[in-house]
Order: sequence, then C-alpha cells, then structure tokens
Amino acid sequence: MTGGPTAYSFEWSAIWRGLPYLLQGAGLTILISAQAMVLAVALGLVLAALTQVRGGVARPLVRAYVEVFRNTPLLIQIFIVYFGLPQLGLRLAPFASGLVALVVYAAAYNAEIFRAGLEAVPKGQHEAARSIGLGAWQAMRFVIVPQAIRIAFPALGNNLVSLVKNSSLVSTIGMVELMFVANDISFNNFRTFEIYGTTAGLYILLVMLLTRALHLAERRMARVR
Amino acid sequence: MSARVVLESLPYLLRGTLVTVGLSLAVIAVGTALGLVLGVLRFVPWRRVGTAIGWAVELARAVPLLLLMFFIFFGLPALGIRLPTFPAAVLAMSLWMTVNTAEVVRGGIQSISAGQFEAARSLGLGWLPTMRHVIVPQAVRRMIPPFVGLCTILIKDTSLAAIIGVFELTRAAQETIERTLRSFEIYMVAAAIYFLICFPLTQLARRAEARLQRPS
Repeated sequence: MTGGPTAYSFEWSAIWRGLPYLLQGAGLTILISAQAMVLAVALGLVLAALTQVRGGVARPLVRAYVEVFRNTPLLIQIFIVYFGLPQLGLRLAPFASGLVALVVYAAAYNAEIFRAGLEAVPKGQHEAARSIGLGAWQAMRFVIVPQAIRIAFPALGNNLVSLVKNSSLVSTIGMVELMFVANDISFNNFRTFEIYGTTAGLYILLVMLLTRALHLAERRMARVR
Repeated sequence: MSARVVLESLPYLLRGTLVTVGLSLAVIAVGTALGLVLGVLRFVPWRRVGTAIGWAVELARAVPLLLLMFFIFFGLPALGIRLPTFPAAVLAMSLWMTVNTAEVVRGGIQSISAGQFEAARSLGLGWLPTMRHVIVPQAVRRMIPPFVGLCTILIKDTSLAAIIGVFELTRAAQETIERTLRSFEIYMVAAAIYFLICFPLTQLARRAEARLQRPS
C-alpha cells in the first residue's frame, strides 16, 4: 500500500462474513463476564461483611485489599496473574488468569459499595431486629443485608457494566473473546471500520441488555414490600 | 538477584512514569473542558438536541476504551488519517474522558432542584447565564467526588496505551521484562508506582464525599 488518500469503500459483506466469529467471541465475553460478576459480588459481600466485625484485624485487612486493588491498573493485575505468577510456580490458563484478575479487581469496588450500603442502614434497624428476638446473624441476614443491597444496587450495577467492558482487556493475554476476535479478523482482512464498528455495536448491545436487566431487578426489589 | 534487577530498572520505569503523568494530565485537561460543555449542553432548551446528546454520550460510554483506541489507531488510517501512537492514545482517551465527564456533569446538574432553575429564569436570566452563574457553581460541589474517582480510573487506564505501543509506565515495564525476564517483580514495582499516584486521589475523593454528607 502506498501513501496518499486511500479511497476506503465500506463493505457490508465484510460484516456478514465476520459476524459469526464475532458472535462466538461475544459468547465468551458473556461467559467470562457472567462468571466474574457472580464471584465478584459474592467476594465483595464477604469482604464488606468482614468490615462489620468490630475489633481484630479483619477491617484493616479488607481496607488494605480494597485500596491496593482499586488503585492499580487492571491490565497490570492481569499481567501479574498471567506472566508473574508462573515465576512463583503458579501457572494458569488465559481464561482462568483473566477470570481471577477480573474478580479480585471488581470485588474491591463491590466491597466498598456494600460496606457503604451496610453503613447506610439506620442503626435503629439493627436494634429493632435484635429487640424482637432475632439473633445477630438473623438480624444481618433478614433485616440489614436486604436493605443494604437495595441501597447499594445502583452503584453495583455501574460496576457490573464496567466489568463487561473491562473483560476486553483479557484479550491481551490471548483469551479469544470479542475484542480478540475483532483484532484477529481486522488484522487479516483490513476491514477495520466494518469489524470494529460491528464490535462496538455488540458491546453496546451487551451493555444495554445488562442495564435493562439491572433496571428490572431494581424495580422488582422495590416492589417486594 | 531480583532486588538488584528492580533497583537497576527503576530509572527506566520512572521515565515511563513521567510519560504516564503527562499523558494523564493532557487527557484530563481536554476531557474535562469538553465534558463540561457536553454535559451542560444536555440541558439546552431544545429538547431534541439534549436527547440526541444524551444518546450519543450513552452509546460512546458503552464502548470499551481498548476498542476506542484500536478503532482510532488501526481504523482511521483506512480514511487516510494516520496518527502516531501517542496522539492516537490521547485522542481515544480524551474521547473516553469527555463522555464520562459529561455523565458526571449531568448527575451533578440533575441533583440541583428545578426550583433553582425556574427562579433564575423568572428573574429574567437567560439559559446560559442561569447555567453559568446559578446551576453549575452549585453543581460543581457534587461533581467533585465522582470526578476525582473518574480521574483515578483514567490514570490506571493510561496503561492501555502500552498495547498500541506508546512508551509509558506499563510499556517501560514490559520492555524491562523482555531484558530481565523478572516479570513478577517488575510488574509489582509498576503496580506500586501506579498506587503511589492513585492512592492520594482516592483518599481525596473519599474526603470530598464525606464532606458532602455533612450539611454545609
């Protein structure tokens, strides 16, 4: 290819040829994101619950975890898991490496949100629950946590949406998800506009579906009482 | 020994750090200015224009930054626009920062009660003076915590520039590892440097947030 203005002609057929592969990639993006979401929410809840234990080392330890993982780039975390840990004898496949990094990163954000949610539930709720005879665990389980989740939900939703977008970074360690497939195709046929455009469309679709689902879940939660 | 490797590579990593800081500052400057304008424009009196801007911001925000960067670096040359790696990264990140700042601005403005707007308009102020002298000054206070949070995310995400070959901290780490093969130590040092930059900012956001909770 020589210099000068190239007359780039948009080819719809490039989209139709690429789409089946891109959809396969999107499937893996959904797979890794969904698994990471479930694990990151669970880990975030556990970490947030630990901060409510008075005294002991749990609280400062969780705080340190949150600060370390929130203040370092996800890309570096992925590289440490995939390229760094083998040096210590722990070798994980790209999918597992990506999943671990996405989970520990997102869990740090989730823990912070859940902690704020737990602390936003009025103290009287806890006292009232205990005074009608609920144990400490029951008060947490049936009174405090459900309210905390409702308070935390909008911010949590934002995190989960970010997680889907962040999963594109896993392409850098060779996991064949949507971003990886898009690069793979466009580096081969040079239809960069068509392929990246379609890829952007697929990410937008995924994000919109997730936002919609979260919105429905939020409305449903509000209706429970 | 790995401690020596770390010490010897530190000057090179710090050179990369300087670029990371410069890149971040440039993007924050451009993104903040454009994002503020775009965010305020969502509230123009012409409903359709506001709605269209809102949609454009939502769509752009749904696209991963990495994809924006690939699009600009590998996609634009197809149109005859060939950017070197550094400007391509600045452009992609500024676009990202602009739309995300616009979203923060929208949130801040919407948190101001409509009565403020109506009162200012009924005093005879035009739309722009109302925004400039009444709404935005009040909204800025509420925008600060999420905006500082956004800046830390951006600083961390400048690491993505390494993927298209910009020399910054992450790239410096990668090059050091190619020479020394000590990936664990070097990435840990890089992570520590990012931490030293971002941690003060997160603390600042936390404090600004706490101050908002107290009545002023």
